[in-house]
Amino acid sequence: MADLVSLKDVSKSYTAITGEVVEAIRGVSFDMHEREVLTLVGPSGCGKSTILRLIAGVEKPSSGSIERRAAEGKFVVGYIFQDSSLMRWRTVYGNIKLPMEILGKKGAEAKIPELVKLINLEGFEKAYPIELSGGMQRRVAVARALVHDPSVLLMDEPFTGVDEITKEILQTELNFVIRSLKMTGVLVTHDIEEAVYLGDRVLVLSAHPGRIVEEITVDLPEIREPVIKTEERFTRYTKEIREKLNLLHPLRLSRRPTDAPA
Amino acid sequence: MQNKVVRNLRDQASVLGSLVVGVVVWQVIVDYGIIPSFLLPAPTEIVAAIFSSRVNWWANIFATLREAIAGFVLGTALGLLLAVAVTASGIVRKIVMPYIVAIQVLPMVAIAPIIYILVGFNDLSRIILTSLLSFFPVVVGTATGLADVDVNLVYLLKSLGASESLIFYKVRLPNSLPHLFVSLRIAITGATVGAIVAEFVSSNIGLGFLMTTALTSFNIDLTYAAGFILTVIGLLLYGLVEGVGRASMPWFRRR
Repeated sequence: MADLVSLKDVSKSYTAITGEVVEAIRGVSFDMHEREVLTLVGPSGCGKSTILRLIAGVEKPSSGSIERRAAEGKFVVGYIFQDSSLMRWRTVYGNIKLPMEILGKKGAEAKIPELVKLINLEGFEKAYPIELSGGMQRRVAVARALVHDPSVLLMDEPFTGVDEITKEILQTELNFVIRSLKMTGVLVTHDIEEAVYLGDRVLVLSAHPGRIVEEITVDLPEIREPVIKTEERFTRYTKEIREKLNLLHPLRLSRRPTDAPA
Repeated sequence: MQNKVVRNLRDQASVLGSLVVGVVVWQVIVDYGIIPSFLLPAPTEIVAAIFSSRVNWWANIFATLREAIAGFVLGTALGLLLAVAVTASGIVRKIVMPYIVAIQVLPMVAIAPIIYILVGFNDLSRIILTSLLSFFPVVVGTATGLADVDVNLVYLLKSLGASESLIFYKVRLPNSLPHLFVSLRIAITGATVGAIVAEFVSSNIGLGFLMTTALTSFNIDLTYAAGFILTVIGLLLYGLVEGVGRASMPWFRRR
């Protein structure tokens, strides 16, 4: 399979409000293969979202290079954000249609009913985001990211803030949609189980500045159900990630409760 | 649906009820001489003044309305242009904002003579004065709405290759609508006040002119009558702007 995105020794720094230069990521290199889902997992502030913005082309790297190739036509991304980021002034239908308006794809609206069905929101086409539950809003965001047949699907902690039960359902639905449509995707998360559940390959990032400290290939069936999270092969991966993130050793807390066991 | 209708009716009834109670209390206070009627005429005396005086109410109402609406439209147009300019450019914001704030903090009676000297004692000067009270909330409110957008939406559109002007049209403009309509509600009341003050200073027609002339001749009933009509006009204009806002933003009304 061809590589759609290649990052070579990419670093990115920002100037904070205080004037201090903050290095978000340092020397990040990886390739994204066609039809694979790559997950980036790491602690908060390790530059995961920055990597997505760099792939999307909305930010430029401070150093290093990024190559983007499309399997067909022009390289274009689908973007899912952690808080849905729907346009509250547009209906479900209008929100899903947005990328096609920007790209000037006329006549592609015929695809929308099919997508609405795929995300189980039939009958809600004319509803405004405020009338939808959090889970339904996430589904609309997924449909909006898929409607224009993107080269790569970028997912920035898409289920943060969703309750555990809804999250498992949404994760399973998203995995099914991605695999059915043979999409290439990159998922950013700080949820270790989610990284394994949705990914074919997991890149573990260190605390900031973010650097890749481990690459783990996930050998699980493409179509996954929540029950897989209880299996030994699944927990083996999550344990390996926790190990790389130093979560299996006693945490060096600055202060322990007085009645905590020694 | 039925619950919504019942709730609406209950809300309307409570508003009307409180109004009726207020008017009755007012009437009783004056009738029992707690406040003398030469200071505060009873509601019945004010209504009687409206119908018994020889004042051409329609001509005066039309004059004030014309000034208020023209000033509101001018102030809003100016406010929108300035809001776009200060949002688009940091330099423009730094240069223009001090002047905008300075115009706002200066009392209108201090600006009025300058405007009258520059433009003359005519309708245009009164409309300009009225617009000065309208444009400030529009600039501040709209600029806030244009700037305070979900940054992810901007990223999304940029990732699809959208230009800044397309981002403005698709994201910033609709995002600013709730802020704009809040500003317009303040602006329309400002315009009504502006028209009256402009008439206080220089006019020979309008409700403001009527109030000053009635007051100087100690016709307290007529002063209050003009004030009452002005209040009704202010409420109607405010309601109109609010209604347009609701109709333009069904997604906001459902909140």
